[in-house]
Amino acid sequence: MKKLLALVLALTLLATLAVVNASAEEVAKPEKISIFIDGTVVTSENGQAQFVARWEELTGIKLEITQPDHDAYYDVLQQTISSGDWPDVLILSSTYYSAYASEGVLWDMTDAWENSATKNSGRFIGDSVIEGLKIDGRLYGFAPTRGNGCLTYVKQAWLDAVDMDAPTNYEEYTAMLDAFVTQDPDGNGVDDTFGVSAAGFIGTEAPFTNYLPEFYQDAYPSFVQLEDGTWIDGFTQESMKGALERLAEAYSKGWIDPTTLTNGTKDCRNKFYDDGFGVFTYWAGTWGTNLKTNLENNGLSGELVALEPIAEVDAYFDRVPPVWAITSACENPEGVFKYFIDTMLDGGDMQMLWTYGAEGTHWSTAAETLFAGTDAEVTYAEGEFHMLENLETPGTAYTKNHIDPMLALATFAEGYYDPQEESVKPEARLSAEVFNTHSKLAQIVPSTEEMSMYNGDLTTLKNELIAKVTMGELSYEDAMARFEADGGKEWSDIIVASLNATN
Amino acid sequence: METAAKVVVHKAPLKARIYKYRWFYLLFLPVAAFAVVFHYLPMFGILYSFTNYKIITDPVWVGMDNFKRLFSMPNFWTAFSNTLELSIVKLLLNTFAAVILSLLLNEMVNLRVKKLAQTVIYLPHFMSWVVTASVFQLILSPTTAGLVNQILLKLGVIETNIYFLGDSKWWRTAYYIINVWRDTGWGTIIFMATLTGIDPGIYEAASIDGAGRWKKMWYITMPSLANTIITVLILNLAKVMNLFESAFVLQNDAVMDQAQVLQTYVYYQTFNSGGIPNYGYTTAIGLFRSVVGMVLVLACNFASKKVRGRGIV
Repeated sequence: MKKLLALVLALTLLATLAVVNASAEEVAKPEKISIFIDGTVVTSENGQAQFVARWEELTGIKLEITQPDHDAYYDVLQQTISSGDWPDVLILSSTYYSAYASEGVLWDMTDAWENSATKNSGRFIGDSVIEGLKIDGRLYGFAPTRGNGCLTYVKQAWLDAVDMDAPTNYEEYTAMLDAFVTQDPDGNGVDDTFGVSAAGFIGTEAPFTNYLPEFYQDAYPSFVQLEDGTWIDGFTQESMKGALERLAEAYSKGWIDPTTLTNGTKDCRNKFYDDGFGVFTYWAGTWGTNLKTNLENNGLSGELVALEPIAEVDAYFDRVPPVWAITSACENPEGVFKYFIDTMLDGGDMQMLWTYGAEGTHWSTAAETLFAGTDAEVTYAEGEFHMLENLETPGTAYTKNHIDPMLALATFAEGYYDPQEESVKPEARLSAEVFNTHSKLAQIVPSTEEMSMYNGDLTTLKNELIAKVTMGELSYEDAMARFEADGGKEWSDIIVASLNATN
Repeated sequence: METAAKVVVHKAPLKARIYKYRWFYLLFLPVAAFAVVFHYLPMFGILYSFTNYKIITDPVWVGMDNFKRLFSMPNFWTAFSNTLELSIVKLLLNTFAAVILSLLLNEMVNLRVKKLAQTVIYLPHFMSWVVTASVFQLILSPTTAGLVNQILLKLGVIETNIYFLGDSKWWRTAYYIINVWRDTGWGTIIFMATLTGIDPGIYEAASIDGAGRWKKMWYITMPSLANTIITVLILNLAKVMNLFESAFVLQNDAVMDQAQVLQTYVYYQTFNSGGIPNYGYTTAIGLFRSVVGMVLVLACNFASKKVRGRGIV
């Protein structure tokens, strides 16, 4: 009896301690949260005020947004960090994420994440993504979605015109490009088309090869960690020789748009919509719909083949997703994590807001007739979910807010209405499915002192040599000789050594 | 100024002089404050060039290390020589073209046509460099959309398209032509003002003496313009290290050995480093640029004294 009493007392004591401990760890609710965001969240022209109003309604916290122009986001971000006037929360690409984390700009959210409602919800499906974001085992940023990446789209009408099937290997791929150049696939009677185009021969951010994967194949022009943990510079590997030779051949034969060097992504999209070329490696998912819609708006066939990687391309790159990070200047990081980060994928109203926007502005379930996209006129019944007309681009409908429903790392809670079926068009779904099945996670490269010292010069030199070899100005051998003579080899070795020292 | 200096020598005590000119000093105060706050105080920032400074951590004194690294970088010297070459050739071409255009405009008799011509040639100056670059990328495109290539092909001057902005052999030619197109009209304003100020009586006298149009231009107009040309050249020479926007929007990966200038070099060091840049290093580049700029200003001043008998600063 005494033993039983002692046990009951001990248990009561433990329970009391747990309650006391829990209340001691109660996270204070912030009154205001300041966030610094890019154009992946609704802009002021697109109903940001309504988004903010709904967010504040759901949390009872004031939300202050700074949103520079999307294209100048990282320029302005660097200036903001330099000024010392840091926001509580910011969006970071993988490069800035690792750099800022290693410099102490970001709050370590590892423990907060482990105890978070999102992680322990049973709905979270992105453990591998979160693991991939850890630097030395610590987490400094949260991604509500997968990173997504680019896959290759081929115009079905052009394949039909040259009587070919979608290619499955490099030989078929180049034969298709050749046919697109020489067989007048647009049927205008003039040989004025190109096979493929891109915004530059090499991307400006990781994973750099994602706009021309069929040519780069297994080559990678930047730093790569091998399975044994060793870091190498892919630019100095033999595989890069093959990649540059393929690019040079394609350029000399006119398969690649000759203005690729000076193209921006918008130039490429416009040329694609104008039937200037037939193969375009671009973002998977929603962009599948955007490309189709814009082609059809130009009176062309919008049917696109979402190409599975050709045999020589192992898989498309699923980039490291942009993350939401809390700065180390934030006065109440636990509170910001709990009420801002940890609510994004709550499986309910907040997830709905981040995914589809504000009801009545970005989406609706009211009975109405709308013009949206290429569909002439669509009538929706009461209760039928539909995206509304884009405020900034009338005639098109919204597709999503910040979280792409096809990339979300958590499902909606059981019983909560998920409008994905209605909101995601079939071509976007197909594109996402092909990509998800055939993609691999890109690596995160840690930032080192030597990296920040030499990588600017090194990247400029590598990009110049890639362009010159592709355009036939230099042979691969001459390019590598210049790489060594101009210090590229030395800088590369220094950075690789510094990366290996972090192991 | 000399008179004022003499007044100073004439011994009124400083306090009395300050009181006497108190309203002038008061008017000068905002200007002085502006200069101190925005021009002199930031100069202390040059100390960062002797440190490794990552903004979010305290600067670490490294002495001359940033400069040693800078001078050992081939890319830096390429950028430096490109800056000088592009700026100086651009300056000479623009000035020469502006003078020629001014002389031609000056010869126009119909005032309406002259004003229309002036308006048309001023307009390109008001286009942003981003728009200018987009327009010329299209005009100079090596495809059927490229106007220049199509004309040259039709005329039989070339057999295949030339990638003017993507070929390092052609990039500088294209760059100079674009600059002349954009800035020559604007450059004519100062020369036109000088030409308008020439006494018409001199031309009349020359006509009475039997001088033709060519001789009047050679013996009256050109000597009258000479001082302005030298002043314009000298003043602009002091700004040659500031080259950025035109080079930035027209450069691309394939022509970096021709198109990288110091300002774009700093830009890439800052935004291409894959980490938080060392602002100490980029400040060192900025300091070097300023020193070279100052040397050029002093050299210009010296040249001006020699040529015109008086300096510009």
